Amino acid sequence: MLRIVPLLAVVTVLSAEEEIDFNRDIRPILSDKCFHCHGPDPETREEDLRLDTFEGATEGGAIKPGKPEKSELMARILDTDPDEVMPPPKSHKKISKAEAELLREWIAEGAEYEDPWTYQHPVKSPAPAIKNAQWPSNWIDHFILARLENKGLTPSPDADPVTLLRRLHFDLVGLPPTQERVKSFTEAASNNLQTAVETEVDFLLASPHYGERLAIYWLDLVRYADTVGYHGDQPHNISPYRDYVINSLNRNIAFDQFTREQLAGDLLPNPSQNQIIATGYNRLLQTTHEGGLQAAEYRAIYQADRVRNASAVWMGATVGCAQCHDHKYDPYSAKDNYQLAAFFADIDDESHFKTGTNSLPTKRPPEILILDKDGKERLQTLDEQLTVLAGGKEKQITELSKQESTLAAQLKKEKDAKKKEDLQTHLTATRTKLGELLPGDSLTQWKQLTADRKKVKTGGRLTMITKALATPRMVRVLPRGNWLDETGEIVEPAVPHFLPQIEKEGRANRMDLANWLTDVEKGTGGLTARVMANRFFYLYFGTGISRSLSDFGGQGQPPSNPELLDRLAVEFYESDWDIKHMVRLLTTSRSYRQSSLTPPELRELDPYNQLVARQSRFRLPAEIIRDNALAVSGLLETATGGASVKPAQPEGYYRHFNFPTRKYKQDTDQRVYRRSLYIHWQRQFLHPMLKAFDAPSREECTAERPRSNTPVAAMNLLNDPNFVEAARVLAERILSGADKDTGARLDYAYNLVLSRNPTDAESKTMADLLDYANKDFKQHPDAAKKLISIGQTATDPNLDPIELATWTSVSRALLNLSETTTRN
Amino acid sequence: MFDQSANYINRRTFLAKGGFSLGAAALASQLAKAGITGKSNTSLYGAPHHAAKAKRVIYLCMAGGPSHLETFDYKPELDKISGKPFPDSFTKGQPIAQLQGKALMAQGHLGGFKKYGKSGQWISDYLPYHQKMADDISVIRSMVTEQINHDPAHTFMNTGTAISGRPSMGSWVNYGLGSESQDLPGFVVLTSVGGRNPQPIASRQWSSGFLPSRFQGVEFNSSGDPVHYVSNPAGVSRGHQDELIRTIQNLDSKRNDLVDNPEISARISAYEMAFRMQTSVPELTDLAGESQKTLDMYGATPGDGSYASNCLLARRMIEKGVRFVQLYHRGWDHHGGLDKYMKICAGHTDQPTWALLTDLKQRGLLEDTLVIWGGEFGRTPMFQGKGGAGRDHHIKGFSMWMAGGGVKAGLSHGATDELGYNAVEDIVHVRDFHATMLHLLGIDHHRFSEKFQGLDMRLTGVEPAKVIKQLLA
Repeated sequence: MLRIVPLLAVVTVLSAEEEIDFNRDIRPILSDKCFHCHGPDPETREEDLRLDTFEGATEGGAIKPGKPEKSELMARILDTDPDEVMPPPKSHKKISKAEAELLREWIAEGAEYEDPWTYQHPVKSPAPAIKNAQWPSNWIDHFILARLENKGLTPSPDADPVTLLRRLHFDLVGLPPTQERVKSFTEAASNNLQTAVETEVDFLLASPHYGERLAIYWLDLVRYADTVGYHGDQPHNISPYRDYVINSLNRNIAFDQFTREQLAGDLLPNPSQNQIIATGYNRLLQTTHEGGLQAAEYRAIYQADRVRNASAVWMGATVGCAQCHDHKYDPYSAKDNYQLAAFFADIDDESHFKTGTNSLPTKRPPEILILDKDGKERLQTLDEQLTVLAGGKEKQITELSKQESTLAAQLKKEKDAKKKEDLQTHLTATRTKLGELLPGDSLTQWKQLTADRKKVKTGGRLTMITKALATPRMVRVLPRGNWLDETGEIVEPAVPHFLPQIEKEGRANRMDLANWLTDVEKGTGGLTARVMANRFFYLYFGTGISRSLSDFGGQGQPPSNPELLDRLAVEFYESDWDIKHMVRLLTTSRSYRQSSLTPPELRELDPYNQLVARQSRFRLPAEIIRDNALAVSGLLETATGGASVKPAQPEGYYRHFNFPTRKYKQDTDQRVYRRSLYIHWQRQFLHPMLKAFDAPSREECTAERPRSNTPVAAMNLLNDPNFVEAARVLAERILSGADKDTGARLDYAYNLVLSRNPTDAESKTMADLLDYANKDFKQHPDAAKKLISIGQTATDPNLDPIELATWTSVSRALLNLSETTTRN
Repeated sequence: MFDQSANYINRRTFLAKGGFSLGAAALASQLAKAGITGKSNTSLYGAPHHAAKAKRVIYLCMAGGPSHLETFDYKPELDKISGKPFPDSFTKGQPIAQLQGKALMAQGHLGGFKKYGKSGQWISDYLPYHQKMADDISVIRSMVTEQINHDPAHTFMNTGTAISGRPSMGSWVNYGLGSESQDLPGFVVLTSVGGRNPQPIASRQWSSGFLPSRFQGVEFNSSGDPVHYVSNPAGVSRGHQDELIRTIQNLDSKRNDLVDNPEISARISAYEMAFRMQTSVPELTDLAGESQKTLDMYGATPGDGSYASNCLLARRMIEKGVRFVQLYHRGWDHHGGLDKYMKICAGHTDQPTWALLTDLKQRGLLEDTLVIWGGEFGRTPMFQGKGGAGRDHHIKGFSMWMAGGGVKAGLSHGATDELGYNAVEDIVHVRDFHATMLHLLGIDHHRFSEKFQGLDMRLTGVEPAKVIKQLLA
């Protein structure tokens, strides 16, 4: 999308030997260059000409099908007069020669329009015929190979088994393979690579880390974070929702059910606690905890946010663009935007405008208390004991003890002697009654148990949930998005006007929306499946079949292989929305196994890897870079779920906060070694490590993270004490795990970190660093001690500090290698 | 989403116009290695589109919303009705924050106003040093914005929209023009201590949004590491770190011989620049080389994190080629105690701002450095009384100023009505302000766009924006 990418090159790659496809070849040109003034939005339409429909384009003769030379459109785009040429110079858009030629050919062939591909139901095409029948592992490969053969290309060879194994582990669980796993896989692969891959994939899909890995992606989409986002960016309670996502993915809950639970779990019949936690989705948006705010402005901001997110996540659409005006490129009207907003108008979430603003802890009702397994058991035991003690008189006892504490408190404050006496009498009477109900020791026991019960409950976690208001907020169309304008039409929940409609008597609700999104027959389930299928492909191939992961609209990139994308979409819903099935299908394909090495010719021909004549290679996501360092050093703490964790971060990083001011309280136990997806997600001041490696703030839906390569990231990986500690503990592991000679140690170290032996040249370079480091630390033993004291894990006292510091340098180098942080 | 699939293309921009640029020779060799040909140092947009008057920007951000009525906007009529009901004709149906549902009373100016300089600009008594700059600054007295709560308003001012995830102006400018510095980020953010209950500032305000993350603002800290992780780990000397980085680069390069991945070349350069930054950043923030006279002029005590020290740092940064410095003072939200807090905030900022302008002038830097002063909105001409007279948020008219590179000095532009409520003359919307800033930097805002979610995104947004011609020298 950078301007320096010549569109010409992309166009020719896609259409060299193929027929013109309106949606793939023509629509992008018309949409980008013409629709702004001659498209769906009547307000900005000029000369009453619209080019987004066949009727509009042909009525006035702009396009004469079959006759490009008589079509005004061709004349105008080729005109050299600046007053006549289209698009006009002031738009700073130009139609290239290649594009003009495509348009000419298309008109000559009859100027056939197609409905936008994104709104067409996916088609289940049969696997195309191919020449090299030996190559495919499953039908995905047929679609890919057919295109390659059509272009005279061949797929890349299989990646070597170790690279492939590492790829599978990083993709499916986000952790490196252990040495045992490397050994067993390479053995199995030498017998039969396909079987070895299938076995490994099943093993990984059964791992609890699979859900953690995929959750990272889902949490990006739904913008999960631990803080409110606006103004003071205070913490809010939502971590049980994160665990719900991990557990649901591990349990492989069907995607349609996953959708219903999050959008409308509260509207399910007898929802389980899990399903209520899931409705935290509706509370994930950025909110404010600011006192003295203008509520109407935020109400408008919230409702727009919910539409942007839900439409991006499930529809891959930018409906949010219709907040101020009808969409310029897609058929969404402003009214569609507000009708979608109306689905969320029953979400009870406005009490926080008034409750305890600017102070901590934030209160964001409705919230529920979630206990972990121990807490639940403990609570149950306590309740049983209390029941036994009370002997059926709980109600009276509870009431009396409440009365007792109220009276005692009043008595304390009261100054008037007469009133004091009355209160005392009353209190004594209450205590006597209590004593009768709970004779002897049992009163003390009761009090103790009640205190314990309270304690257990505070050990639980609160989480925001969705509760439906009896009367939903009124939603109006806001002209130009202006929240002050109360002249707009009042709207009820409804889905976009040009898509299949929800058939229901009375007001449609969030459950209807969730069902509509996943109903293949009556709703847009097929389209939702396509949006998600494209993202699964992206996760395992590094690029989407359509490169637009959240803009399936007129301006998005049409799919490079539409038949494959559609077939994957159909597969997804025909498998009853089985996510693990899709992951298995993609990762056991032959296409997945290809090497990611990219010969210069292929780089030139297909820079975005749209043909999949190779695998992709890319820097690991932020979380996985850190998890990998923790795993190879042996520090990783693998517990799943729970409250968010706080590893070390620079002092003073939160100085920008106020209402109230805050200090980061670093955890001081094993929690600092937990996987990075559990790190406290502070929207405005995300942990610098996560930020340096492009983890998003989660203010908005993120379907694709950037993969940058910056000096700030380099400094982080070099100097962040979390990585320095991991390097030192890795060095301890090397020193105590391998034979004493340098060669053996380097072999061991390379195998721990990169699952391979070093080359001779690499060993030599590392040996030079060892020499340097050894001399340096011998001269400066205090420096050695300082280096190995970084981090909270105690240093192994049996190791020589100088040797340990020396090998810490080697470990730091290893953790900083490009290969260590790359998925190949 | 910004394109990542063809990372080697990103890499080219990294080298050509990244937050950090390489020396020509290194650049050529890196490009050759990456198999990239063609011109390397030009912008993607052919920017500058026209001759630039300003090469760099220092944006003095007065967060919280300073009162235009206690700084630059003098309204004798307002004084006349002070304490009386504010005319309904102005306020009916208008957005109000904390004064919702309350009786609206006019609040006259606190402090006097006089005309200063040859230009005769009206400046409040609260700003004695600004009075000396009357002929240097160009005051826009007719600003309007669209957001009335702090955070969205701030985001609107910095990114042109209240929606999160969009690039801030410093990122846009660096994206368009690249950095002039070999070893410093092109976009730096400094926040200052002190003021009334300081506004929280979100990192969204210096986010690169959908632009590559290397264009995001880098925060400089007044205590600890000036930039996160810029110091070596304890016990690691500079020589040792150097050796370590050479080793990493050497091993990466060996790997690249095998796998031929342009990303690896980019990474080798990133480590090189990281190493250089580890020296240049501490040098930059060390004020020991500044004379006592200079320190006194700013009123700065090195290391105190004050606005004054930050002004001095800002000058040092632009001298070293930083393209965009955003400097925050966070104490301007004066719902009450306006007199007291105006004195405090002016006390923090008035003299250092003057010192900065004077220093830039003396060094010949002001002519191609654009200095901007302003908050996210103004304050109501109506009384609010939380702890003494104060004013509520106000978006229909407020003041900002610009000075330096290409700006007509001593100009008063635009006006609010007789009570300082609505901007009525030569109204300047935030997007006009953005268009003007870009124009001064040689960038045509119409042509300066980036595709995101299928749309041509601009700092100036979708509504028409205009360059304020009268402001141009």
